[in-house]
Amino acid sequence: MKAAWIGVGVAAVIGIAAVAALSGIEPQEARVYGEISTENGSPILGDPEAPVTIIEFGDYQCHGCHNWFLNTKPLITRDYIETGKANLIFVDLAILGQDSWTAAQASHCAGDQDMFWEYHDAVYNNHEDTIDGGWASKENLVRFAGEIGLDADEFKWCLDSNKYADRVRSNTNEGKSNGISATPGFFIVGKDGQSDLITGAQPYITFKHFLDEMS
Amino acid sequence: MNAARTVFSDARYVILSCAIFAPMLAGLLLLGEYVFVEPYFVSHLPPGSELGLVLIVALCALSALVIPMNVYRIVALKSSRQRMGGGVLGSVVGAAAGACGCGPVGFAVISTFGTAGATATAFLTNYELPIRLAAIAVLAVSYVATARSLRTECRIGQR
Repeated sequence: MKAAWIGVGVAAVIGIAAVAALSGIEPQEARVYGEISTENGSPILGDPEAPVTIIEFGDYQCHGCHNWFLNTKPLITRDYIETGKANLIFVDLAILGQDSWTAAQASHCAGDQDMFWEYHDAVYNNHEDTIDGGWASKENLVRFAGEIGLDADEFKWCLDSNKYADRVRSNTNEGKSNGISATPGFFIVGKDGQSDLITGAQPYITFKHFLDEMS
Repeated sequence: MNAARTVFSDARYVILSCAIFAPMLAGLLLLGEYVFVEPYFVSHLPPGSELGLVLIVALCALSALVIPMNVYRIVALKSSRQRMGGGVLGSVVGAAAGACGCGPVGFAVISTFGTAGATATAFLTNYELPIRLAAIAVLAVSYVATARSLRTECRIGQR
């Protein structure tokens, strides 16, 4: 009888792990900053112990997100992330079109091969100012993966399986439920959990003010 | 040029023109993310956005020129409202282009209207520059037609 219960327990654990794997939600530790859960977001860019965390809610097809990536992010990376004063987490807020969903899932597929941030950069470096205009089609997303050295077959399998659809949906809902009303939207969260919201592709000077105050 | 001088010699039309230009420019600069007011007032011109800024200023200037001239035609000369449409249409369409995208307006439109909202937002974003150029062309044509009409109607009125 005891052996039967052990068997049931083992089967339940395997079942839960299988459901989690298929839904694309990895059973990782809860990464909660203030009231914002980033457990389904990107890996942390920079020092995980940095005193300030920047949480970016973005859409790969968003023109403003692309502007921020090109003009503000490099300065923040140089002055705060590489110096250990802050870290960055990207959370999908895929709302603009079908290709936004696909691109967001693709970034997590790249994450499976430990190249989330390299792929994230590759998508933005290939960004065009159109929504569902084809630049972020599945074929192009696979091509970007090949260009940065990902295993294209594994990547394509992952993308075709829609493995990360629930993860992207969960991230998008997280942004909406935390009051993000435009992309990109940022929460700057200090060690004490205090957070400030910055909406839009604002210039470096705005971020510098908050980051200096909190770090 | 004389038609515009005639209209704007009346201070009320200058005030109307300013009342159109200033809020329209401020609104479009905010929506286009050239200016932010929260958490601080800051202006920002990312590389590659210069043409968009020039088109916004041109659109606002033409709207502030054409709409008061049409109002003058209707109020002072008791003309028909028929030609008013071009000026208003050009202003509205030009302002709508690019107002959506990933800003708060686009977000609200998509959240409210779902797939239809997303399709409309995508269209207005993808064709932002051509739509703005077309709106400016409509306003320019409207200006020429209104000025010609004012010259003719004023001449008849003087006889």
